[in-house]
Amino acid sequence: MNAPVDDRLTALRGSAQRRAYNARSLAALENNPRCTLRALLDASGSDKAAIAEHAGYPSAFGQSTFALARGNAFEALVKANGYAELLRVLRETLGLTVPEVGNRDLNDVGGDSRQEIRHTHTTRLLVKAAQGSGDSTLYDHPMLRLTVGGYAVFLEPDLVAFRADDRFYIVEIKSFPIIDGQADPVQVKSATTQACAYVIALRDMLRQAGIDPEAAVSDQIVLVAPKDFTNRPTAAFVDARKQVAALTRQLARLERIKDLVELLPEGLTFDLAPDGGQAQRPVEELTDALDQVDATYRPDCLNHCEMAFYCRARAREDASLDILGPEAREQFGGVDTATMVMGLARGELTPTADQSEMAIALRHAARLRAELDQAYRGAA
Amino acid sequence: MSMVSALARVQAMESMTAVKVTAFRHRRLSDRPLVVIPLTMAGEAGAPLAAMVGSSKRNATLLVVAQPRNRDQRFAFAADLGELVTEYLNSFRQDRRGEGEKSRYSDAPQLLVPNTGGIKALADLARMCRFRSTTGPYAVADVVPEFGMWLTFLVERAEQAGTCLLLPVTGMLTEHWATGQSTLEDQNLASLMAWISPPPGTDVAQAMADAESPDICPPAGPTTSPQFDNRDLAPAIKRFDAAHTAGDTVALAAAQAELRELIAEQIQPTWRLMWDAISLLRSVPEAPRAAARFGRDCAAFTSYSDYRDGGGLPQRKRDTAIGAARRLDRLEQALVDFESDMAFDDPFVLADRRSVGEAFAGTVVDADPGRVVLSDSNRRVLRPRVTIRTDDPVRLAAGTKLVSPHMPDSHKARIVSVLPEGGTMLVTVEVTGGMGTPRTPKADGVPALDRHIAYLPDPGWRPAAEFPASDSTPWTHHSPAQVPDADATESENAAAEGWGHDD
Repeated sequence: MNAPVDDRLTALRGSAQRRAYNARSLAALENNPRCTLRALLDASGSDKAAIAEHAGYPSAFGQSTFALARGNAFEALVKANGYAELLRVLRETLGLTVPEVGNRDLNDVGGDSRQEIRHTHTTRLLVKAAQGSGDSTLYDHPMLRLTVGGYAVFLEPDLVAFRADDRFYIVEIKSFPIIDGQADPVQVKSATTQACAYVIALRDMLRQAGIDPEAAVSDQIVLVAPKDFTNRPTAAFVDARKQVAALTRQLARLERIKDLVELLPEGLTFDLAPDGGQAQRPVEELTDALDQVDATYRPDCLNHCEMAFYCRARAREDASLDILGPEAREQFGGVDTATMVMGLARGELTPTADQSEMAIALRHAARLRAELDQAYRGAA
Repeated sequence: MSMVSALARVQAMESMTAVKVTAFRHRRLSDRPLVVIPLTMAGEAGAPLAAMVGSSKRNATLLVVAQPRNRDQRFAFAADLGELVTEYLNSFRQDRRGEGEKSRYSDAPQLLVPNTGGIKALADLARMCRFRSTTGPYAVADVVPEFGMWLTFLVERAEQAGTCLLLPVTGMLTEHWATGQSTLEDQNLASLMAWISPPPGTDVAQAMADAESPDICPPAGPTTSPQFDNRDLAPAIKRFDAAHTAGDTVALAAAQAELRELIAEQIQPTWRLMWDAISLLRSVPEAPRAAARFGRDCAAFTSYSDYRDGGGLPQRKRDTAIGAARRLDRLEQALVDFESDMAFDDPFVLADRRSVGEAFAGTVVDADPGRVVLSDSNRRVLRPRVTIRTDDPVRLAAGTKLVSPHMPDSHKARIVSVLPEGGTMLVTVEVTGGMGTPRTPKADGVPALDRHIAYLPDPGWRPAAEFPASDSTPWTHHSPAQVPDADATESENAAAEGWGHDD
């Protein structure tokens, strides 16, 4: 049933290698679900960073080797010696009854690391465990599938799920510290976003096997992070009920990828090398292709979307109020551009019925600013 | 954000230049601020990498931690920075005036960091230092815990609206100028300065693009750019580690010099921007009420100095229930006072409040300056009434107490009625203070007919809220902190040793 959509998405991606959803694209999904360009690029598994760079707007993301090394070292430490440290914090810090049983690394199946095969393997083991006949407590790197816009995508598997008290818990291992019981809220939020996607995906999997998903998977996420300024892990429950509900709602409301694809002009592609060579597509041709798809830019995109600089440049060209962000934008309900705001403020444009109330407030504000400009011209 | 400030942003966007949103600088800017630019290592908790410190543009000290993962080097850095900062703080403890409870230092220190991330970096450093022991197996220099406690004091003070002992320069700039970019991008000092004062010969658009290029404008911290980390810093640290392990003193000195040079190149552009921003801010006149707020900063500085002299304990990790309630109350009150002070002093801020109907200005169209009524105690009192016609969408209720920036300080009034009339509003107010008595009315106590006048709500004086004593907190507010922590401080110390060289 996915076949024609699959073909269109493959055509969009072109010759490039398929990219899986990762922490950043999940954050983008949560923060800007209505952006069509993002939805299509992510669903097709296109390399947004390469596309942005080729279009002349390289993204500013990059990971410092220090952060990478620290992250890996901490994760290794938590998982070392048969997950000894992880079990310690689960038992000591969170007071969970984790029985002393084995663990399963689902990273590959007998040397085969294809996504489909790993997914089948994961499903078999986890469903068995949920039915109470599993032989393990910890499952590392389970391969899950999330339905985004009616289209199933694989999730990058870098998590641990464990069973305690007959429920699955999702563990996020992060290297930002929990200092005096408090961690940076921004980082906690992005960590939970990722975990929420796993909770939803895992629940979907179990639902299909006829298991009550809410009872089987906890929406309390276990965050494992360094304690204070040390290397020693500590753990905390993060209540993700709200975020799970929000993400579920967003996923359900999301325009279906199928419908989005159908609106695209025939033959549209974001391929950088349609002839099989290396990034040789004329820039103009690529930007023309990108411009055929709507993008919903927000300043927040700069934090998580590789395309952000490109979209910002486009929004600037249009004098779009999106540039200023939602706090300023919401003042001018129904008006999209700076040009229109200034036109209304100067009385050069006539407001529509919807805009009349806003226009009164706007003209009043413009009068106030004009008085001030006159009084303080030149000063300071 | 009000309509007026949103419009200012759109104006900036259209004209491609920053526009003023206040007439004054509402923060005191010290004659001798201490600029601190902290850099931390990516991915590490409170692992300082470097800091550039100094109280004049030409007098910068660069401190570098060659291997931020090494605990000894980190605390050696903390000690060096601590010496510089405490010396600066102590230089303000010379001139003390007043007697008894009123006694306080006449000036106070001011630390300036590039952005709110800088404050967070100092908060982490403060937390890392203030509980350290100066004796025993993991002893640190005497100045380290002292520095940690002072830094904690400054960071906590910075949470309070209107204070100026520790400030992010981006915050000071955005209080005065609006740009045509988002508040998120305003956090970048270089982008912000590109709007306000682009380098000579560069237009705003080009300056903005440069500001986001890590090679032209390295980030103002606290983390360095990933490109710099991967390309320059990581190999340099590796060379340092190799020389350190090999015990090769010549190579070690060379590696250290290289690291310093690399970091200096990253930090110097921000240093120059900081001082450019400071001189820009100096050109903005200080708001009249900033002095009174600064007086309270001096008092806070004095009282913490005395507490330190008395060997006071370090600030606790988490507030108790009562402590948290008290802090929240203080912060809320300070915010209300600061906002009201700004609106009183500054017609731009007043315009903001007027646009949302929280204040109004207009012309006196009717005045009854001689109105006398009988008070509850049967005395004849003067209660003049005036009616003001205004275009502002007034949303204040009858009975609201008012003050006016255009009348003498003693002037107080109260709203009697607000009536719409043909697209404008007629606000009748009764003067309740500063008007004199029926026999001796004050000449300037009542606004005259045809005069332009503004009113805003009187924040009033509020007695400090009362909270129960800490030993009579209701059981709902007992904190789990009373359960002893499984990993007490000594294990934290021991675990911290686990840092060392990772690779």
